[in-house]
Amino acid sequence: MTVDTHDNDDQAALLVHAYVDGELDPASAIAIEQRIASEPALAAERARVEALRRALREGLPQEPAPAALREKVRRTVGVTRQRAQPTWMALAASLALAIFASSTGTWYAMQPGAGGSVPDAVIAGHLRALMAPQPADVASSDRHTVKPWFSGRIPLAPRVVDLVQDGFPLVGGRVDVVNRTPVPSLVYSRRQHLISLTAVPNASTGIKTSQTVQGYNMIAWTAEGMTYWAVSDLNLEELEMFARLFRAAPF
Amino acid sequence: MSGDDNTARFERIVQPHLGDAYALARWITGDRADAEDVVQEACLRAFRAIGGYAGGNTRAWMLTIVRNTAYTWLARNRSAVVMAVDDLVSIESANAGQAATSGRYDANPEAELIAKADAARLEAAIKALPPQFRDTLVLRDIQGLDYREIAAVTEVPVGTVMSRLARARQRLIEAIAADDR
Repeated sequence: MTVDTHDNDDQAALLVHAYVDGELDPASAIAIEQRIASEPALAAERARVEALRRALREGLPQEPAPAALREKVRRTVGVTRQRAQPTWMALAASLALAIFASSTGTWYAMQPGAGGSVPDAVIAGHLRALMAPQPADVASSDRHTVKPWFSGRIPLAPRVVDLVQDGFPLVGGRVDVVNRTPVPSLVYSRRQHLISLTAVPNASTGIKTSQTVQGYNMIAWTAEGMTYWAVSDLNLEELEMFARLFRAAPF
Repeated sequence: MSGDDNTARFERIVQPHLGDAYALARWITGDRADAEDVVQEACLRAFRAIGGYAGGNTRAWMLTIVRNTAYTWLARNRSAVVMAVDDLVSIESANAGQAATSGRYDANPEAELIAKADAARLEAAIKALPPQFRDTLVLRDIQGLDYREIAAVTEVPVGTVMSRLARARQRLIEAIAADDR
């Protein structure tokens, strides 16, 4: 967002909020940074906004949707289908459909698009995990449990780091398939959001470092001969923080 | 069979956002059972619309449906809760006027005080916000949407998102400060 930074005090306060949210373009961000540095009132506003955001993020308990809701929703949607064709044939069809939807349907829906690109496959793995009863095949917050679990299943175990101190507890790990190759995915959480971190060996070229696909944020980086893909519905700012922490963490 | 396609699309586009949908519905209705009703109705609307869904940001699309469904639902079942649109407009302009004339806000607590605010207090303060401020704050600071996504969900320009968010936060800060006195 480009905004005139030389407006009244009220406008300046708005800009401080947008600055804290990472919503200003670089020129506007630098302009407001300079004003924050020279105007104590704006610096105080920035400190208050950051404190409030932290309090909301860390102090407010997150309540997940009731487990039964997902099934209720499926039934609601399914029931509508039955009403539309109330013959025994339609009932049989909808039963078959329910079986299809509960078994192969999800998998089918998750097939990567025509491109079959790595990001598509990574997102598909993440979505599949969100819908599964468990987002990880090995569920553990202990990296000394998760890392050995991979060793028996794939050639290259990923590095697993502990970020619980930074508010990204480890949830577990699973094996995804990218380009017909089994690859490790770690699952971390942030409040009610899950982050999948998939490590694909022998990185392909032309990687966009961050992008949004279907409303999911993705960040990619290359290290130790792997390309790491972090994908989540978490906001980009916190996902970038996660990527920074993961890269900086010791083995 | 297009029904199969739609069911698969529903699983892919709507189901991953059920947690966010429920959270938003709970903030708007203020009640868990009501939130479940709203989410179910929103999912039904989403399912009917999914054949024509043109792609793009699935979460913003779903949350837009949830928010609209929640307000329709409230108007139908809890008519006293919903304010008339005129009221909303006047709150907004009154606030803008007040902020512009005073320039500074009366309550300026230290950041440490805000950071210490407990969950019950925060939740009560958020619930006390006018709906359009509350929705913007929840979408940004609890659900983590960016300004453009919030503009899409609440169907207002980005500039309005920016001012609503700042006012919502300043109101929370004032509420926390008032508590401490």
